[in-house]
Amino acid sequence: LKLCRMEASCLELALEGERLCKAGDCRAGVSFFEAAVQVGTEDLKTLSAIYSQLGNAYFYLHEYAKALEYHHHDLTLARTIGDLLGEAKASGNLGNTLKVLGNFEEAIVCCQRHLDISRELNDKVGEARALYNLGNVYHSKGKNVASAGTHDPGELPDDVKNALQKAANYYEENLTIVTELGDRAAQGRAFGNLGNTHYLLGNFRSAVLAHEQRLLIAKEFGDRSAERRAYSNLGNAYIFLGEFETASEYYKRTLQLARQLKDRAVEAQACYSLGNTYTLLQDYEKAIDYHLKHLVIAQELNDKIGEGRACWSLGNAYTALGNHDQAMHFAERHLEISREVGDRSGELTARLNLSDLQMVLGLSYSTNNSMMSESQAVEKSLNGTRPRVGRRHSMENMELMKLTPEKVQNWN
Amino acid sequence: SQPLAGRQAAELQSKVVPSKQILHSDNMEMEPETMETKSVTDYFSKLHMGSLVYSCTSKRKSK
Repeated sequence: LKLCRMEASCLELALEGERLCKAGDCRAGVSFFEAAVQVGTEDLKTLSAIYSQLGNAYFYLHEYAKALEYHHHDLTLARTIGDLLGEAKASGNLGNTLKVLGNFEEAIVCCQRHLDISRELNDKVGEARALYNLGNVYHSKGKNVASAGTHDPGELPDDVKNALQKAANYYEENLTIVTELGDRAAQGRAFGNLGNTHYLLGNFRSAVLAHEQRLLIAKEFGDRSAERRAYSNLGNAYIFLGEFETASEYYKRTLQLARQLKDRAVEAQACYSLGNTYTLLQDYEKAIDYHLKHLVIAQELNDKIGEGRACWSLGNAYTALGNHDQAMHFAERHLEISREVGDRSGELTARLNLSDLQMVLGLSYSTNNSMMSESQAVEKSLNGTRPRVGRRHSMENMELMKLTPEKVQNWN
Repeated sequence: SQPLAGRQAAELQSKVVPSKQILHSDNMEMEPETMETKSVTDYFSKLHMGSLVYSCTSKRKSK
């Protein structure tokens, strides 16, 4: 009877955990699942399900070390009881978690295991999902190596290109299966990530085609977040196709949806993209307008990195208009913020901009000389580490990108 | 020095984006991950757990 009570209570707690997670409250769900584990159960399949859900809940809460721990427990348990489908699922989840943690090689092994078992069991749905996960791991791996240096999309070292090409192949394989299965939602996801992979590979036309498919499916489902993602990705691709007018139209749709969805960080991102696009169109008044909108939101969100970028961009736009006083103001602010957040390369850029502006404004050469020598000192001590403080999530992937002169000529 | 400053201003203007450098927002929007799901109720409905709980509750009731 005591065992019965224990089992019942473990189940009840787990069921409540499931209900809470389904309702979107993972934090509360975790407490119930952990309580269920504390009570314990003799039934290993139930325990496996609890571990798996704990792992997923922690994954959604971005607590990846905990997610790893529980998915690992689940995998061990599934193997122990010889539950092949359970092992496949645990392997997939473990793979996704390892990917987020940057452990790509182990992630590949896990996702491959998910794929192998799914094929063995002739489980088409599982096979497709494993292929999508593998695509994601190779995409992250490629992006991770690429971000170690500064490259434009399309200018990549071989190992990066190989990883991205593999990602594209896995997404294509996934698409074949989910198209057969008629799974439109899965097609949408695969098209989105395939588009981003083509973008990084520099296949901008293919990227546009994939994101157009993604957009179509998002509209079918009335999924406005996915629709907004597609607009934003289309804007990015058109920038690199040199079609800035088209890019600006897509970024405007992004901005519209970000406002409807009341996502301030995404709204800021869209304003920033629009500011840059109008700079490329050499419409500096509009660029300033959007960069100021971006600045206001960055300040509101206490996003110092974003604020620094806004000031840098505003400094450039005002310089282009010949408004050197405003340019000075924003260059100084950029310098202040770069110092505050410990952004050494930003600090160097700001110093160089300031010394240029001071020269134009005819300020004393002695001041200027001391600025230059300070700049050189900063340059020498640059160690390439990027600051992490105060970054808002949506800004995480923004990089200082150098555009090669040939490319710019092609654009103009 | 006026023509010099003028020339410098022109040079500065020509150095502005996009001719030199732009802060490009490489903010790709990725699709969400799909996680595999397991559920206690799967086993609960399919397997012996149903009868276990049933027997527990019936024992409790009979007590």
